[in-house]
Amino acid sequence: MNANRFDLGGGEPIITLRGIAKSYWREALEIPVLQGIDLEIPVGSFVALMGPSGSGKTTLLNLVAGIDRPTCGTLEVCGHELNDLDDDELAAWRNAHVGFIFQNYNLVPVLTAFENVELPLLLTSLGRRARRERVAEVLALVNLTDKQWNYPRQLSGGQEQRVAIARAIVTDPDILVADEPTGALDAKNAEEVLGLMGRLNADMGKTIVMVTHDPKAAHHARHQIHLEKGVLDRAVEVNR
Amino acid sequence: MILLSLLALPLVGYLLWLVWALVAYPIPLSYNLRSLWQRKVSTLSTAAAIALVVGIFVVVLSLAQGLSVAFISSGREDQALVLRPNARYELNSTIERDRMRILKVHPLVQRDDAGPLASAEVVVVKLFPVADGTDTNVTVRGLESTGQRMRPQVQLVEGRWFRPGLSEVVVPRKMRGRFPGLERGGTVRMGGRDWAIVGTFDGGASSYESEVWSDVNDVMQAFRRESYSSLLVRLTDAGRMEAFTRAVDDDKRLKLEVVAEKAYFKELTKAGDPVKVLGNLITLILTGAAIFAAMNTMYAAVAGRTREIGTLRALGFRQREILASFQWEAVFLCLVGGLLGSGLALFANGIQAGTTSLQTFSDVSFAFTITPGLMAQGVAFSLVMGLVGGFLPAWRASRLPLTEAMKGG
Repeated sequence: MNANRFDLGGGEPIITLRGIAKSYWREALEIPVLQGIDLEIPVGSFVALMGPSGSGKTTLLNLVAGIDRPTCGTLEVCGHELNDLDDDELAAWRNAHVGFIFQNYNLVPVLTAFENVELPLLLTSLGRRARRERVAEVLALVNLTDKQWNYPRQLSGGQEQRVAIARAIVTDPDILVADEPTGALDAKNAEEVLGLMGRLNADMGKTIVMVTHDPKAAHHARHQIHLEKGVLDRAVEVNR
Repeated sequence: MILLSLLALPLVGYLLWLVWALVAYPIPLSYNLRSLWQRKVSTLSTAAAIALVVGIFVVVLSLAQGLSVAFISSGREDQALVLRPNARYELNSTIERDRMRILKVHPLVQRDDAGPLASAEVVVVKLFPVADGTDTNVTVRGLESTGQRMRPQVQLVEGRWFRPGLSEVVVPRKMRGRFPGLERGGTVRMGGRDWAIVGTFDGGASSYESEVWSDVNDVMQAFRRESYSSLLVRLTDAGRMEAFTRAVDDDKRLKLEVVAEKAYFKELTKAGDPVKVLGNLITLILTGAAIFAAMNTMYAAVAGRTREIGTLRALGFRQREILASFQWEAVFLCLVGGLLGSGLALFANGIQAGTTSLQTFSDVSFAFTITPGLMAQGVAFSLVMGLVGGFLPAWRASRLPLTEAMKGG
């Protein structure tokens, strides 16, 4: 099957992968993780990357998010050819265009919810007052205004993940990448987090790429892309 | 010195960059301070180790400074000591009476109403019991009354000065704490006779605070000396030192050597060298251990926060921002120790101590004086420890592979 022919709906592609391959090296031994990935993801998509362990879905997510580089192929995300960016440029690009949601929330334990959300804004040119207003705005969006001065240890798992989502959207990025965002949550909190992500996609037009093992979580996406042994296997449109 | 400067240069450059980073880079300092506080046990134990080292460092500096002050403040620019050639120290020197007479009337020697400002003196050592149960040699100086006037830094604080022919001594106030039985009204036994302690003097932090003073003829009689040890002279002008030296050199009757009083006491500051060397050696070893402790703590911090570092990098923070952040954390850790250590050193302030001079084989009393300057040096020392000990862990933190770091190691 030719991956190019995956139909993820219309619209301008925000993510374009051409001939992407990624290998890791263990001494002289090459371990291929991704091979020949050609894929276009349109603006405003909500895509779930699925597949068995070792299929390369997290590696693909890392490439799209600009935290890893491909062994070969070209990768254009949000209008930038990522291979052309050096480490500093890539860091600045991530800050401007990508929001991260992790399985274990990855909040900084010594910072309050407010400070965690404010972190990505410290890299922008926004002044203190504008930052505070923006943080207050996104914390209200995830319904955590009353918990803003709590430290992560004082929050439940679901609340922590909502803080992480607030942090991911505070810079108003084009893309949200989520790696097993509900993997550490109970069913109720998982549903709440997925609902929030759905609203970010539907109401704010954020393009979301989510890695998940969980078919229920994947059901919240509009498309599911299955990987098998480092290659794109199939794309499925989710019927609701 | 040049080598030291060359080594210090990159450190200073690196420090300047860090200060700039503190202002320009976005990772808040509160992140590092709270992270240190979160690991209270390891932070406090490392800070305590650094405090100990800094405390010792400050005390050693104070010791070196105390000894220097003791000797340097003893001399005057316009005074010279006349000694036997190559004697180097008064204790090794002998000068016959007839030569004294020639020297005292030299035209370059200053005079006042009482006569020439020249004091023929004899220096001997006597074993005195110390408060800790040991014995140590103490310098006993026999001098003329002119000798007292030529040393204005020495002031009588209690009782009166000794009188010739009565076997009387005056003792320094600072020796009384370390040497029992040196109270006014008591006696000391020297040269086969008892000497009455009739007064106490303050030596103005000079080396005279390590000497017992009496009349020169009484001391010579008691210790069966036929000759003097030295002659202290005040010249008509400080600028005549060279002329006086040449005149004494050229006078074939004398066969004596002139040493500027300042230079003489500067030479005596070497008395503290063995103690300083030992102190520096101990400090060096402990510094190595403290740097290792700081490094170990910071490596543990980096290892425990790998995912956090990965997250910061993913959010857009650059490698150099991570480097500066973790380096500051190490510096703060060490600065806490530095401040504690400098504070601890204050406990040594004012403590009287003594060391044996290898030049005169006698006791040199000094007081530990912890000045704000020394404390600042202690804090600066801890800063260097933070820079050196923190660099490798901070470098590692900044260079963690991003994908690995995000997984938590």
